[in-house]
Amino acid sequence: MRIELKKIGEVLVSRPAGREAFLVISAYNLKDLTEDEEIEIDFSGVKVIAPSWADEVITKIAERFKNVKLLNAENETVQATLKTLREYSGLKI
Amino acid sequence: MGNSQEKLAYEWVTVEAGNVDVSSEFYCATRDVFEARFGRMIRELFEKREDDASIVSAVVGEIANNSFDHNLGNWRDVPGIFFGYSFSEDKIEIVLADRGRGIFSTLKKVKPEIENDQEALTVAFTERISGRAPEKRGNGLKFVRENVQSKKMHLSFYSGKAKAELNDEMKIEENLENIGGCLVIITL
Repeated sequence: MRIELKKIGEVLVSRPAGREAFLVISAYNLKDLTEDEEIEIDFSGVKVIAPSWADEVITKIAERFKNVKLLNAENETVQATLKTLREYSGLKI
Repeated sequence: MGNSQEKLAYEWVTVEAGNVDVSSEFYCATRDVFEARFGRMIRELFEKREDDASIVSAVVGEIANNSFDHNLGNWRDVPGIFFGYSFSEDKIEIVLADRGRGIFSTLKKVKPEIENDQEALTVAFTERISGRAPEKRGNGLKFVRENVQSKKMHLSFYSGKAKAELNDEMKIEENLENIGGCLVIITL
């Protein structure tokens, strides 16, 4: 299953927005998938992402699924946000 | 406070409740209003300083949304934030302020051993802690500190009688004037 974040928006900040995004992704993309399913999170087209938003989406997906891959994650804020989540939110990917 | 935008923010956050200028073009009463203006700022920033735009925008988003996340239903008087920005060829300046509970009041609830505004600012920028515990959160200001350093920004963060100056390093000291809530000035 590939999740294209640009379909949610190119500016991904704030926890309320992240929480809403996670609910939508859970209902339409992740429903009925087992924890072994491969999940690809595609950051292409994302201009700005912040850890508050990502903690509600990326961290939660990584907690639920064993095989999560991050695609097109070169953007500066994507890298900075992932670094923060790894240091302070226990993100393992 | 230096320029007119900083002075307006300072006045906005320090005046008596009845005198707060809620008609100001910089006033965002709700998160929706902030997000609309924030979107415009991001577009302008990408046009003028594409290399810095994404990180600066993420830093601003974290600070502004913190104001709403931690003060919703608990503003001291006027809800919402002051949000101003100006971009010239060689300088970016962004100013944010809120009339909320401030960092000390917010964190003391979950870490009672914090004794004053300076300790509260130190904890906020260095420890994983959130005033909204038991929710698992509290990484935003750590992200801000690290990226202010990596992008060579300068950030002044006032709350209560404390002031944090962040650039290559972080310095926290007493501030003579009491800022109820928070006042933040970012320059690059």
